[in-house]
Amino acid sequence: MQTVLSVGIDALAYGMVLFVISIGLSVTMGLMRVVNLAHGAFAMIGGYIASYATQTLGFGYGVAILAAVVGTILIAIPVERFLYRRIYGAPELTQVLMTIGITFCVIGIANYVFGPTLKTIPLPELLRGPVDLGFRSISAQKLFAIACGVVVAGGLWFLIEKTSFGVKLRASVDNAAMAASLGVRTKIVYAVSFAVAVGLAAFGGIVGAELLPIEPYYALRYMVTFLVVVSVGGAGSIPGALLACLLLGAIDTTGRYLLPEYGEFFFYLAVIAIVCVFPRGLLGRSK
Amino acid sequence: MAAIENTSPAKTASTRPNWIMRDLIGLAVILAVAAIGYFLFPNNLALLTRILGVALLVLSIDLVTGFCGVATLGHAALFGAGAYASGIAAVHFGITDPLLMVVVGAIGGAVAGIVSGAVILRGHGLAQLVLSIAVVHLFHEAANKASVYTGGSDGLSGISPDPIFGIFAFDLWGRTAYGFAVALVVVAFVVLRLITRSPFGMLCRGIKEDPIRIRAMGASVQGTLLRMYVISGAVAGVGGALNAISTQVVGLDSLSFTLSAEALVMLVLGGTGSLYGALIGTVSFMWFEDFVSAANPFHWLTIVGALLIAVVLFAPRGLYGTALMLLDRLKRQGK
Amino acid sequence: MKKSVLAALAVLALSSTAFADTIKVGVVGPFSGPFAIQGKNFKAGIDAYMALNGNKVGDDEIEIVYRDLPAADPAQSKALAQELVVKEGVQYLAGFYFTPDAMAVTPLLEQANVPLVVMNAATSAIVTKSPLIVRTSFTTWQTSAPMAKVAKERGVKKVITVVSDYGPGVDSENAFKTTFTAEGGEVVDSIRLPLSTNDFSPIMQRVKDSGADAVFAFLPSGPTTLGFVKAYNENGLAKAGVKFLAPGDLTQESDLPALGQAAEGLLTTFHYAVSHDSAENKKFVEAAQKAIGNPAELSFPSVGAYDGMHVIYKMIEATGGEQDAQKAVDAVKGLAWESPRGPVSIDPESRHMTQNIYLREVAKADDGTYYNKEIATFDKQGDPGLAAAK
Repeated sequence: MQTVLSVGIDALAYGMVLFVISIGLSVTMGLMRVVNLAHGAFAMIGGYIASYATQTLGFGYGVAILAAVVGTILIAIPVERFLYRRIYGAPELTQVLMTIGITFCVIGIANYVFGPTLKTIPLPELLRGPVDLGFRSISAQKLFAIACGVVVAGGLWFLIEKTSFGVKLRASVDNAAMAASLGVRTKIVYAVSFAVAVGLAAFGGIVGAELLPIEPYYALRYMVTFLVVVSVGGAGSIPGALLACLLLGAIDTTGRYLLPEYGEFFFYLAVIAIVCVFPRGLLGRSK
Repeated sequence: MAAIENTSPAKTASTRPNWIMRDLIGLAVILAVAAIGYFLFPNNLALLTRILGVALLVLSIDLVTGFCGVATLGHAALFGAGAYASGIAAVHFGITDPLLMVVVGAIGGAVAGIVSGAVILRGHGLAQLVLSIAVVHLFHEAANKASVYTGGSDGLSGISPDPIFGIFAFDLWGRTAYGFAVALVVVAFVVLRLITRSPFGMLCRGIKEDPIRIRAMGASVQGTLLRMYVISGAVAGVGGALNAISTQVVGLDSLSFTLSAEALVMLVLGGTGSLYGALIGTVSFMWFEDFVSAANPFHWLTIVGALLIAVVLFAPRGLYGTALMLLDRLKRQGK
Repeated sequence: MKKSVLAALAVLALSSTAFADTIKVGVVGPFSGPFAIQGKNFKAGIDAYMALNGNKVGDDEIEIVYRDLPAADPAQSKALAQELVVKEGVQYLAGFYFTPDAMAVTPLLEQANVPLVVMNAATSAIVTKSPLIVRTSFTTWQTSAPMAKVAKERGVKKVITVVSDYGPGVDSENAFKTTFTAEGGEVVDSIRLPLSTNDFSPIMQRVKDSGADAVFAFLPSGPTTLGFVKAYNENGLAKAGVKFLAPGDLTQESDLPALGQAAEGLLTTFHYAVSHDSAENKKFVEAAQKAIGNPAELSFPSVGAYDGMHVIYKMIEATGGEQDAQKAVDAVKGLAWESPRGPVSIDPESRHMTQNIYLREVAKADDGTYYNKEIATFDKQGDPGLAAAK
């Protein structure tokens, strides 16, 4: 029983970290219909800024998160304006080509500027060290990540379903021309949602840095994981992504505990099974 | 995924002699380029051979992506299956005749095509991409586990193919390998040309344009696509076998997601839906990569990334597609 | 007829480089991509050697030609080697971080009349693939086996091994298991993880459940190592007194700043530590740190490259700059010298390094940084992996 609980906690923490990092991709892919393979690149930029802010400039953890999110969005604005705007509505393969190109560039630049070593973001005293749960100890940072996941999920759900911006966004996605003729400034809506997605990526990159450490190759190394998680959940669905992360986190973690040698098989067979049963993702919007 | 760009103009099938003529010219151009490559870069035949091996993989992706509209980021599974099939045949079963090895590779690729096609064709769009990624990872893991046969992550070494026809040995300078590769690519090109022009090929294009209508016509969508997948697998398998023969090693990288993604990038770069686009994409990407990575082995990735972005911005239909479009425009202006 | 023409061409191609004033050395390594740091270390080691010893042997000037091979890709490795030999006319091939890449090149050597100096790839069997190979790095067996003796000495009875499921990982597991069992210890469980694993908590649960006194681990350096070591601490294994044993790849110096406090006290066995205390090493570290730019990035592949250059210089000296691969290799068989890592020699039989293996503990320096502190020495270790394979 203790083992089950313990593995369950691990699964929850892993799933939540996945969720925080990949939810931004769900926004770009599901709501803006852009296959954004450069999502990991933005998460990595966030991580680098946070690492630089804490290690070199000596800022606190909270300030660093803020600086990273704002900084990444600032970097992303011209990228959106000059590159992404050209591929909205373009064929998916063209989007793949463009975003892979962006990823390559970011990797190259990160390698040049920061060097190929691992970068860490030192945690504040509060999040350091293990917390005793009675039956086992877990790092405080993981609990923090779980909390972040809950907050992000709730916040996004509220933003998209309950605010007027959410209404405009959904309208622009379903029919851009109609929304525009009704007075929605779709370009701005898209730019803002892109900024939100990028900000989430940066935030995820920092919160997840303990599990997925920041290094130049980050942008490609975890690309597949993000893509899989979002598709299994159903692109654009917040609850779907949450469910997918928890489910895949559980499958992955359990597989690793029971049969680590076949962990990869476990994970991808599960993905195939889920996608075959739910071709639009667990809670995907029907087109 | 229905919106995949179709670069070759739809009105190609006008009159018969016209396209036969055009294909012959195309073939002549390919042979001429191959010959020029041989004489211009006699010291770089290993690279040229590798390009041709990957070109077969890219052609095979074009068959399912460009002609059928199936999106895949896992096509290296078929390429690697061919490479391992011929490699294992040579190392463990003593089949060292290069032609036989190619046949084994084609069969291996075709079988992998059936397996992965059966899985990948169950989804559409994004789901399809994810299924293909899952498939290539499963193949990769399986090859890693079966290290008794595949050598695992150390690679399958010790492949020593016989001379072709007992005369032309594979040597350091790679002349034989290059000639062999050119021959394979030309044969594959001709066969694929015939297939894509055949009623079966037209049916595939039809499925890409409108699967519902094709189904209403009474044709089996899944069956047709699966058949194309098998053909595509055979082509990729030949590419893999060529790789195994010319380099005499097979590594896990030949089954990797990275190779799949790179090959897809090359295809989109050249232009989907046309065999020329696939060839042009492969040659330009790999040549460019080799050139910049030799010029600066440390920071070349940035330049390759910039190239991809530039292509999307300035040649959105891929190199070949955009060139065709420009030619078309010039012609019209001339009239 | 065809053959004789080829042969004539070959003679022409070879003789034209033989008496040239510039001798080219082709170095293949991961200079970009996920292992860029290791390639950077190759270059630093080579640059350091040439800075200290000049770029000339006799009258011949040495020129290095680098080629990038970001990940294990034998097909590309062979194509690059072929290009280096045929197009660039290199007389020596060197570098190679991954085993399959080195393996892919071996069939070329004889025909090209080029020796291969392996500066890293650590699978024992590589040197058996051609008589023209010399290796100046280490083998996974060589660095893993002594850890079993350390474990025994420190009173560890039950060990669980956790390795990444790829060639070096399996090698390391076998090396430890074989030696530890021979010493009378017990390996209670062996886990092989997929390379892509990034959350190690469930594994730590397995380690806990196994009731072992120590965990022996091998994972590729970089992100996986960081995740593993962190999980080891966070899941309370360190506190519970489960010892952490590993070959030195896990605590390579370039990862230590990221590992930080989490790594303190980890025991590893390896052939080289940047902190090694000798005049030879001081000279080397100074030059190599200058070459690499950021001193924190210096790590073990640099010393393999440095000694590799030493071997190549000796080869060129012995052949007088002429291209004769067999003579070059024969000249360095049994060669012994003082390397930055300590006294080393090339075993004439296997053409692999015989060297000291050190037991190290990660310790905190006065300036707050962490380093590998050498605390015991296993003198003149050969490669037990070759013997085991037979």
